Amino acid sequence: MSAKPRWVGYAWAGAASGACTLAGFAMVPRFDLVNVAMIYLLAVVVVALRESRGAAVATSIASVALLDFFFVPPQGAFTVDDIQYLLTFAIMLAVAIIISGLTRSVREQARAQATLELEAETERIRSALLASISHDLRTPLAVMTGASSSLAQRGERLDESERRELARSVYEQAREMGDRVAKVLQMTRLETGAMALSLDWVSLPELAATVLDRLAERLAGHRVMVEWPSDLPLVHVDAVLVEQVLMNLLDNAARHTAPGTVVRLRAQLRQSDIVISVEDFGNGIPEGDVERVFAKFHHGVAAGTPGGMGLGLAIARAIVRLHRGEAWAERMPGGGTAFRFTILRETVPVAPAEPVEA
Amino acid sequence: MNATRGTILVVEDEPEIRRFLRSSLGSEGYRVVESATGRRGAIDAGSHKPDLAIVDLGLPDMDGVEIIRRIREWSGMPILVLSARTHERSKIEALDAGADDYVTKPFGIGELFARVRAAMRHKVRPGHGTLAISLGASKVDLETRRVIRDGAEVRLTPIELKLLGCLARHLGMVVTHRTLLQEVWGPNHAADTHYLRIYMKQLREKLEPDPVRPRYLLTETGVGYRLVADEDP
Repeated sequence: MSAKPRWVGYAWAGAASGACTLAGFAMVPRFDLVNVAMIYLLAVVVVALRESRGAAVATSIASVALLDFFFVPPQGAFTVDDIQYLLTFAIMLAVAIIISGLTRSVREQARAQATLELEAETERIRSALLASISHDLRTPLAVMTGASSSLAQRGERLDESERRELARSVYEQAREMGDRVAKVLQMTRLETGAMALSLDWVSLPELAATVLDRLAERLAGHRVMVEWPSDLPLVHVDAVLVEQVLMNLLDNAARHTAPGTVVRLRAQLRQSDIVISVEDFGNGIPEGDVERVFAKFHHGVAAGTPGGMGLGLAIARAIVRLHRGEAWAERMPGGGTAFRFTILRETVPVAPAEPVEA
Repeated sequence: MNATRGTILVVEDEPEIRRFLRSSLGSEGYRVVESATGRRGAIDAGSHKPDLAIVDLGLPDMDGVEIIRRIREWSGMPILVLSARTHERSKIEALDAGADDYVTKPFGIGELFARVRAAMRHKVRPGHGTLAISLGASKVDLETRRVIRDGAEVRLTPIELKLLGCLARHLGMVVTHRTLLQEVWGPNHAADTHYLRIYMKQLREKLEPDPVRPRYLLTETGVGYRLVADEDP
């Protein structure tokens, strides 16, 4: 399906046969008429390769007419003395039709090939996705099945502390799995565009506080530093979604860095937006991975890191983009990684002042 | 045998969720009445006159919000809703229809008990809450409108006091943005959430031990705020 208009092909037909005629005039005294006919044939071949069949046929007809009129004796008339030139005309027409037919089938094959490759790529992504999801969900399910069946069938033979331990592991794995399922659903919703933003004036420190509260257990071993500028304005965003961004970035830092290291959350005001950063002081990520970490189902290189689904950062970026911001990662000098995202600054409406005294 | 701590109606279509609610609420001394459908729940609420109702918002036969409205036509019993994650809008609708609080599925039992206790306390002194509340080093007396922090008086503005009072009347329970805005600033300001952000920040700076990590004035993202006080019997 070429997007170019039809007349372009016919313009080429006219231009090519015209150019051949000029070339023919230059050749005539020194070259045989056969060679002039060859030049016209070349024009037919070129147009047949590049343009539509109609344009090719038009080129051959125009070439025949011009060749006949200007070069075949008697010149200046459409009559033909020698009957053999009729064969020349027939061949030109045949070449035009055959070559444009061939070209068309080659083009169609290429298009079919491209479609097949796209389908194969989609299929490859889909199966990688399924493999990843099923692995990440099966592990907690296996733990839950094992631990809970021990409790159900062998409970009386276990002592109190063992029972408690098994019950706790069912609880923890169930929570982990709930998290993972929620992330898959969230990613799907973000990708299908089925997400309407519910915008509201929101305080970033407030969101961060609820996130840090919810992650208290996971971040218990880390030293968390929170630095907000005193003039940090309210932002106009979907509170629940931006909370999710902070949650995923802080959770990511907690999972991938050793206890005892610092995790720093801070914000920097710029002219038209705010850059919010979650900086960790872990081992850092390889240079080539600063972009790849945002890909779906990307897992850190270090095998056995307490990974999730590899969706947290992809979700964070999708949410930030939904808010017309950007999310990226940077290697920090001296090791560690900074995950940053921007949120647009908008003019905050003023709240009415009130007398200070109660 | 001691008297029960009260009767709780559970309206939930999933039998496994009813089962664990029954056993865990039972172990805390509550009598549990179970309804598997919304229709049944609305009837049971009338016939059993429970002290509290727990209503799932995802019932197949009836919108949970509809049950809340029906109960509210004749009763002020505390109602807790169970809602799926990421459904802030349905939580807000339920709260606006008269529910007192919500728990998001999946939830741990500790969280559920905290909500049940707060709602039961509220039932004992409806509309007033506690007049004297203790927020760590800050002691608030809502009757005399005085706040003492570390022995020194803290001055609150009239709006800060109104806001704190509104939260305290629902101590331990969530209060939606809309309710807070209407009660403190009036019906024309129900959508002016930025007022809340500004005044909550001021309140936290005056009352919280660490305003960056609040322990008493809590944010329920996308829904509202919740004031929790130190537990004192």
